[in-house]
Amino acid sequence: MDALDDLMARCAMRDQRAFAELYRKTSGRLLAVALRVVRRRDWAEEILQESFVNIWNHVSTFDRVRSAPMTWMTTIVRNRALDWVRRPKHETSDEELDGIVENWADDAPGPLDRLRHAADSSALAECLATLSGQQRQSIALAYLHGLSHSEMAEHLDQPLGTIKTWVRRGLERLRGCMDAAAA
Amino acid sequence: MKPQNPDTRSILAAEYVLGTMRGQARRRFEHWLKSDPALRREMGRWEARLDPLCNTLPEVQPGAAVWKQIEAQINPSRDPASAGTTSWLGSLAFWRWTSFASAGLASVLLAFIVVNTGRSDPTALDEAMVVVMEDSETRNPSMSVAWATEGRGKPKLRIRVIGHAEMAPGTAWELWALPNGNEPPRSLGLINTHETQWVEVPEELRHQLNKAAGMAMSLEPAGGSPTGRPSGPVLASGKCLRI
Repeated sequence: MDALDDLMARCAMRDQRAFAELYRKTSGRLLAVALRVVRRRDWAEEILQESFVNIWNHVSTFDRVRSAPMTWMTTIVRNRALDWVRRPKHETSDEELDGIVENWADDAPGPLDRLRHAADSSALAECLATLSGQQRQSIALAYLHGLSHSEMAEHLDQPLGTIKTWVRRGLERLRGCMDAAAA
Repeated sequence: MKPQNPDTRSILAAEYVLGTMRGQARRRFEHWLKSDPALRREMGRWEARLDPLCNTLPEVQPGAAVWKQIEAQINPSRDPASAGTTSWLGSLAFWRWTSFASAGLASVLLAFIVVNTGRSDPTALDEAMVVVMEDSETRNPSMSVAWATEGRGKPKLRIRVIGHAEMAPGTAWELWALPNGNEPPRSLGLINTHETQWVEVPEELRHQLNKAAGMAMSLEPAGGSPTGRPSGPVLASGKCLRI
């Protein structure tokens, strides 16, 4: 991550070559984040484009004491993508959501396994594993796919209150576990 | 009512980051964030906790048109003079200045500057900006710059150089304002090693000065940078604070 720190510092000094390098290094992951939420490539690319212009214009406000460059950039892209799906008429394909729900179930080898092996992610992976499958699924659906409580309730065919409880309990447990892991 | 209970605040921050907080509640939370640094920190902690989830996504490479459009937007009028600052940029750990806010020593210094600036300037600074600049090597405060944000005529920067600074023969120190957004550093002129000094800058720079994100001081050949952009290493830099 030091390399990204350095690129951000150079971007703050209006170094466009550093910005091109930053884009080269991070756009693949950031497009994936946007694409998961909005589910259409042309929209995701538009979000990516707007986000990078924002990143360039606001890079001097980035504070590396407060956050890692990747987290900062991901937040910009996610917020932009979440704004997008909150527009009316945004539709979610059921088949795709089924896939996600299965992926994050108890015994699925998929994303949780990848998370365990990715750098800097093992604490989150270990802690997610302590959640119930429902808690884990609802957090993944919301964070990666931008689903609201009511969209999850509809898709998972559960009362709204149940979904809210899954999310909240899952978050509480995650925080407790990750704080303990960091201590 | 804004909740005071730490657990409630933490879960609200989590639901905000997760994206499940919507509509009116989301806007209200954003409003609280503006004036609540502790809440912003909790939000930051949740961003860091959840961010690794994105590592589970396989990367997707954008089409070439995306970068072309970004480039066109950040660079509406291609300015050839903006090239050529890389040697300077490569050498500096510029981003370090953001850590200034956490330095206790700097806060003490800040209080000192505020008091002293007010006393020595007959116009008394009601509204002022101050920058405590850290030495790029040692990370210790090495100089400060303060000025009144309001007033007539040329803005006067009050500069304090801390300790017994020495300048190598044949070199100069040049002070730069670092704008927010898409503009290059702006020269504010040369300074010397005197403990207290005043630098006047052109009046039209006042607005830019008041909006600057930070300042940096670079080592230049005698007479200042030949290019109009910083050409030597950054000796000190810091973030602008309104006081």
